[in-house]
Amino acid sequence: MNLFRTALFLAKKDLYSELKTKQILTTQIIFAGLVIVVFSFAFDPANNTTKAVIPGVIWVIIVFAGILGLNRSFISEQRNDTMQGLLVAPMEAASIYLGKFLANFAMMLVVEIVSIPFLFLLFDFKFLGSFPYFILVIFLGSFGFIAIGTFLAALAANSKSSEMLLPLLLFPITTPILIGVVQATKIILTNVEKLSSAIAWIQLVTAYDVIFFVVCFLLIDYVLEV
Amino acid sequence: MSMNLEREKAVLPGSQITDTKSLNLSKLLFSATVISMLLSLYFIFIFAEEETTMHAAQKIFYFHVSSAWLAFMAFFVTFVFSILFLIKRKRIFDTYAYVSAEIGVVFTIIVLTTGPIWAKSAWNTWWVWEPRLITTLILFFIYIAYIMIRQMDGVWDKKARLAAVFGIIGFADVPIVFFAIRWWQTKFHPIVFGEGPSQKGGGIEDTMLVALLITITAFTILYSYLLQKGVSFENMRIKVERYKEKLREELEK
Amino acid sequence: MNYEYMLGAYSVAWVVIFAYMFIIGKRHEKLKKEIEFLKQLDK
Repeated sequence: MNLFRTALFLAKKDLYSELKTKQILTTQIIFAGLVIVVFSFAFDPANNTTKAVIPGVIWVIIVFAGILGLNRSFISEQRNDTMQGLLVAPMEAASIYLGKFLANFAMMLVVEIVSIPFLFLLFDFKFLGSFPYFILVIFLGSFGFIAIGTFLAALAANSKSSEMLLPLLLFPITTPILIGVVQATKIILTNVEKLSSAIAWIQLVTAYDVIFFVVCFLLIDYVLEV
Repeated sequence: MSMNLEREKAVLPGSQITDTKSLNLSKLLFSATVISMLLSLYFIFIFAEEETTMHAAQKIFYFHVSSAWLAFMAFFVTFVFSILFLIKRKRIFDTYAYVSAEIGVVFTIIVLTTGPIWAKSAWNTWWVWEPRLITTLILFFIYIAYIMIRQMDGVWDKKARLAAVFGIIGFADVPIVFFAIRWWQTKFHPIVFGEGPSQKGGGIEDTMLVALLITITAFTILYSYLLQKGVSFENMRIKVERYKEKLREELEK
Repeated sequence: MNYEYMLGAYSVAWVVIFAYMFIIGKRHEKLKKEIEFLKQLDK
């Protein structure tokens, strides 16, 4: 489908330009690493209560590293006015959204693959839970977060103070995802017996992802108007 | 497709802040507000019975619930006018949406301050992880985000358009947050406090119900008064801005 | 009993309402002054 192909083109362009400098990826990974180290100082890894904190920490690093990447995804289009070029090109606004989303999501996955094992390492966390479900939850949570984040980044990029505006916009809208995903992670990592509740949370997050992905798809035309 | 800024001849609005028709309406709404507020206070403190367990502190309930009702309604109004603006692109719709959001923030602040005070008196804790309080907190942040978008630098139609989009997704978020948290509570934390901070599980006393309805009406009239005042002020401000633009253009010639 | 809570909550609510009306009043004053100034320019 034409929509998807142009989106892939755009995503490839973004990822190539990112791979050349690796600037944003390194910033995100270093930031995640710093947060993990600070948390490992703040919480005693041997203590049992620390185990309860780990799901939260995972999502804190995902959220904050994600915001770093999301900001740049549309700001970079303001130099040399390439945003106009994208809008004039024979592709729909929805492909721009989809392409940016795919690029951001790919970067987010890379950051997660690097930082989460590092987190488990530093906290000496025995992975007792069920691995496939864990991957699923991380995937779904990042998906929803990046979907809404890309949309709101496009919105916030119109402002001069976009770095301040984006977290402000992002926080209220992604709260249900965060609640659901932290709860699910907690259950999967610590007491796996209650897996049914985790599945319930996963269903909620999936529904939310689908609803908001569609809504963002529909409304992106209004945001990216000339 | 860029918007056409409406051109208007350089007429300076008169020194009275509003014209007589809207001034009359403003005065009418103001007196209605005062009367209905006094009436509701009478009903709250004299007519309605005092609750047995929480005594006087329960009276907070009337203002708290009415403010919450108005806060949500104000944001619903913002939602409706945001949709209207995106479709019709008339500036007046954006004005109504913005003013309603601002008033909504005021009512949300009332809810978020009276709530903890009541929680402290009833359950000896400042904050409760209760669906409605959390939803109101999220609603507060959504309003603030909406207002921050509106206060961006730039041309009005771009700001209005972006704010309208956010108003739509923000409002769609509210019921989802509410149900998600309620679901969280029923599944994992059995509701410790019963049906919530209103009455002992059962129905509500007749006298209390009457007082509540009157207070909600009074608050709605207050909302209409503030809305009308805000919108007429905003229209006046827009006229002054246009006049200044005209002046600047003439100076540059 | 619990009068202090009730009084606290009600006074907070009224303070917020009156503060908002005060802020609106200040805005009105500012706009009025600006209109006066512009009228003066016109003369």
